[in-house]
Amino acid sequence: MGNKTYIRGQKELRAEVQDAGLCTGCGACVNLCPYYATSRDKTVVLDVCDRAAGRCYAFCPRTPTDLEAIRQQLFEPQDLTPELGAVKGFYLTRATDADIRSVAQHGGTVTALMSLALAEGIIDTALLAEGGGSDLPSGVAVRHASEVAKLAKSKFIAAPMVEAFNKAVLSDAQKIGVVATPCQTLALAKMKMKPFPQNDSQIDKLHLTIGLFCGWVLSWRSFKELLDEKVHQQAVVGLDIPPSKYKTMQVETADGLIEIPLNEVEACVREACKFCTDVTAEFSDISVGSARLPDGWEVAKGWNQVIVRTAAGEALMQLAKDRRVLEFREVPEGNLEKLKRASVKKKKTALDNLACKSGDRDDLLYLDCRDPVFQTFDW
Amino acid sequence: MADISKKTEGLADLLLGSEAIGRGALEGGVNVVASYPGNPSTEITEAIRQVAEKMNIYVEWSVNEKVAVETAAAASFAGLRGLSAMKQNGLNVALDFVSGISTSGSKGGLVLVVCDDPSGITSTSEQDSRPLARSLDFPLLEPGTFQEAKDMTRFGLELSEKIGRMVLLRSATRLQHARGRTLLGALPDENRKAHFDTSKQYVAFPSLPRHVAAKERMAEAKEICKDSVFNVYEGPDEPELLIVTCGSCYLYALDAMNLLDLWDRVGILKIGTVWPLPDDLIKTHMAKNSRILVLEEVEPFLEGNLKELAAEWAAEMPMPTFYGRRTGPLSDTGELNPDIIITAFMEILDLTYEARPPAYDQQAKAMVEKLVPPRSLALCAGCPHRASYWAIKNAEVLDTRDGFVTGDIGCYSFGLFPSGYSIMKTEQAMGSGPGVGYGFGKLGQFDMQQPVVAVVGDGTFYHGALPALVAAVNNRSNLTLVVLDNGATAMTGFQPHPGTGTDAFGHPAEPVLIEDICKSLGVRVEIVDPYDSVAATQKVLEFMNDEQQGPRVLIMRQQCALQMARSGKLYEVWVDQEKCVGEDCGCNRFCSRAFKCPGIMWDAQAKKARIDEAICVGCGVCAQVCRHGAILLKPLSAAQGKDS
Repeated sequence: MGNKTYIRGQKELRAEVQDAGLCTGCGACVNLCPYYATSRDKTVVLDVCDRAAGRCYAFCPRTPTDLEAIRQQLFEPQDLTPELGAVKGFYLTRATDADIRSVAQHGGTVTALMSLALAEGIIDTALLAEGGGSDLPSGVAVRHASEVAKLAKSKFIAAPMVEAFNKAVLSDAQKIGVVATPCQTLALAKMKMKPFPQNDSQIDKLHLTIGLFCGWVLSWRSFKELLDEKVHQQAVVGLDIPPSKYKTMQVETADGLIEIPLNEVEACVREACKFCTDVTAEFSDISVGSARLPDGWEVAKGWNQVIVRTAAGEALMQLAKDRRVLEFREVPEGNLEKLKRASVKKKKTALDNLACKSGDRDDLLYLDCRDPVFQTFDW
Repeated sequence: MADISKKTEGLADLLLGSEAIGRGALEGGVNVVASYPGNPSTEITEAIRQVAEKMNIYVEWSVNEKVAVETAAAASFAGLRGLSAMKQNGLNVALDFVSGISTSGSKGGLVLVVCDDPSGITSTSEQDSRPLARSLDFPLLEPGTFQEAKDMTRFGLELSEKIGRMVLLRSATRLQHARGRTLLGALPDENRKAHFDTSKQYVAFPSLPRHVAAKERMAEAKEICKDSVFNVYEGPDEPELLIVTCGSCYLYALDAMNLLDLWDRVGILKIGTVWPLPDDLIKTHMAKNSRILVLEEVEPFLEGNLKELAAEWAAEMPMPTFYGRRTGPLSDTGELNPDIIITAFMEILDLTYEARPPAYDQQAKAMVEKLVPPRSLALCAGCPHRASYWAIKNAEVLDTRDGFVTGDIGCYSFGLFPSGYSIMKTEQAMGSGPGVGYGFGKLGQFDMQQPVVAVVGDGTFYHGALPALVAAVNNRSNLTLVVLDNGATAMTGFQPHPGTGTDAFGHPAEPVLIEDICKSLGVRVEIVDPYDSVAATQKVLEFMNDEQQGPRVLIMRQQCALQMARSGKLYEVWVDQEKCVGEDCGCNRFCSRAFKCPGIMWDAQAKKARIDEAICVGCGVCAQVCRHGAILLKPLSAAQGKDS
């Protein structure tokens, strides 16, 4: 079991994460104090803080983390898999409501689940990403189920959802649900470990984390330049990346579909994503991503793959089934294995990149080479 | 300041060096005084200003030093007597005109008083102005006493008129700011009328024949000054060591001589007419002395010239051994004092005398550290510049393009220091914030991606920023110019400037508004109150990202906090210590440690922030800075209607 954890301050956070190209822009360090802000897709330091140890460092998903300790605390041991984290259930779903599906990415499962959680009072506030594409994305708080669908669709640029969480806890929100990328779910999980006992009580307001499958996100600045070049002034309605064999990003505009070669898009990937080992948002209650079906992409893109990880996640899924908010479809044989392979592939790549960056296979920077998960495959 | 217009001829008064120069100007019948403020020169003009109206003297705080000398020169061309005072940096601003008048010559008595600042105590340099006298052929007088400060000013006006050339009078910080006994002379009764003789030309071309004429006038000056009372020898006939000195070093040398009781062994030749030198007098003394110690501030100007003379006289007398700033044992930088001179005596004369026990400095330092809390150079409590820098700093961080500030001279120079978040990255001369910023704004073709914010004070805007702004319009430089407008020339003592709407006497003047100038240039200009922290930050960010080509000007306008301290607080400010997070994670003394206003104290016992009511001017910015709502404000009636 890994034990490489310690808490330091702003100076070390800057050196080890921000200046090292590991910052994911999740905003875990923002809104805790006056020293940090998110601006233009970057986490910036407004002023120097000389505390030796701070929550900024403790909550950051790219400071040394004992992942195994988090797995043991937040999940049931029998659910844990080395490839995908905790798996209580694996489903293929889509929103029953065709209106949701028409505005949402793929099957609209996230939208349906968040709307349901709000409608049922499981949460009183949903934190969702707004913007994306050419616009700077940001996290917004939504109080009513009807508002969720307005914010559907993948952004491909990460809104700083943990910053939004840190802000929301200061409001009158009591039960908060968050839709987050894997790095963001890790930050929230680190907060749940309460490394600062005196002032970590706010994390108890987090009642639901829906994680998004994520191979990478794009750097806003580079992607904006690319979009400006390819799409000119047309309004972008949606973005999608079909399965890898297509090697393309589809940009839906008012005037029709524009395709951008995937290699050009990948040149805009955020530096920090190279060092991420989590493709399925392992530290969430429910993780949702695009589906793969033998029927082909045109059918598959109307569905989602869903991993349920916790009891809270399971209860919500059951409710969604009971209320017929989601439609379920039989999971084709081999889908879970395929997803496991994709997940391990990302872990291997990230570990290689970390070892390459540190110059030492025993030094994985924010990760611990003794983590039991990393012992289960060769890299 | 003392009333320098007393008609008590023959009686002594205790005058500041600057007042003594002012009195000398009155005794010399000055008519026009035009200056630009700057320590240590400011009080000369201020002393004259106080008596000017009743004595029918025209005094102005000019827009800059060049215009100041031009104004005084116009008086001279019209047959009046003129004087202009400035610090050494200011002389550089005026230098182009000074060079021109060196060639053209002048008419009525014209004195340029330049006040140098050895060690650069309140300056960006310790530049020695004296070499200019030699390179531009001006007589140079350097007073060593308060009496001489007065007498030389009068003499300078007379000499100037006699030879038709401007005279330089060189003073320095210690003489300017100390008081000494000064015997007053008569105030003239003359009532000159201004008239320009149109049969004459004061022109700088053709320059060569005029240079020849200048040399002839300087020869005249040399003749007049050869037996000057300002050049004095005291000491034995054949001393072991001859001190040759000038300026404020003279009094240091007297102190050292008295302390060491050296009057039997050492002689002092004090030179007052430092250029052209009294060769014959020097020759007489050099012939009798094999060892010469030269004491002067700061460059070895006198020392070099003496060596040059010694070389010329090599056939007639042996070359003396020289000691000084060039040869040693004195340093070639920094201000002298009696202790340094005593140490030099010990080395040259092989004496044992402890000017200061070695442990003294350590003891003094230890005592000071115990009694005085550590303080850095800082902007005043409530200073609007701090609020402006806070906004600019935040805007630059939020902009994420690694922007920076180019700045210049004024209270806002503290942007160099932690008090101004160290955001100022270049600082040279007045107006060079906009000038250098303009240059950066032209580096786009070399892939310069960083946004540049140039800052300039309101006074400095008029003084030296306009050409850069015009150039920025003309050449479409990508420049954000922030005018830090506190409505005053605050650093030098609230002299008026073209925007204040008053003249040197407080009478109404025609205000020339910065925003009107910008509008006339077609520049985008807006005004924001730096005390409104969020709005100010957003505005700077917006200006930095204005994609239209060319400069834009943001005026951050709020009156100087010293004025506010006089006129009344805007708010009563206090800390709710229950809400204050103190040193814990989430704050870590953000208000006092990061925002750094000296009006916010750290209450070490309570481990909470506290407001220092004695110096807080009630600007209210810290209440916006505190994220925890722990700093509270109550508007005060004194502030009501002030901004309307």
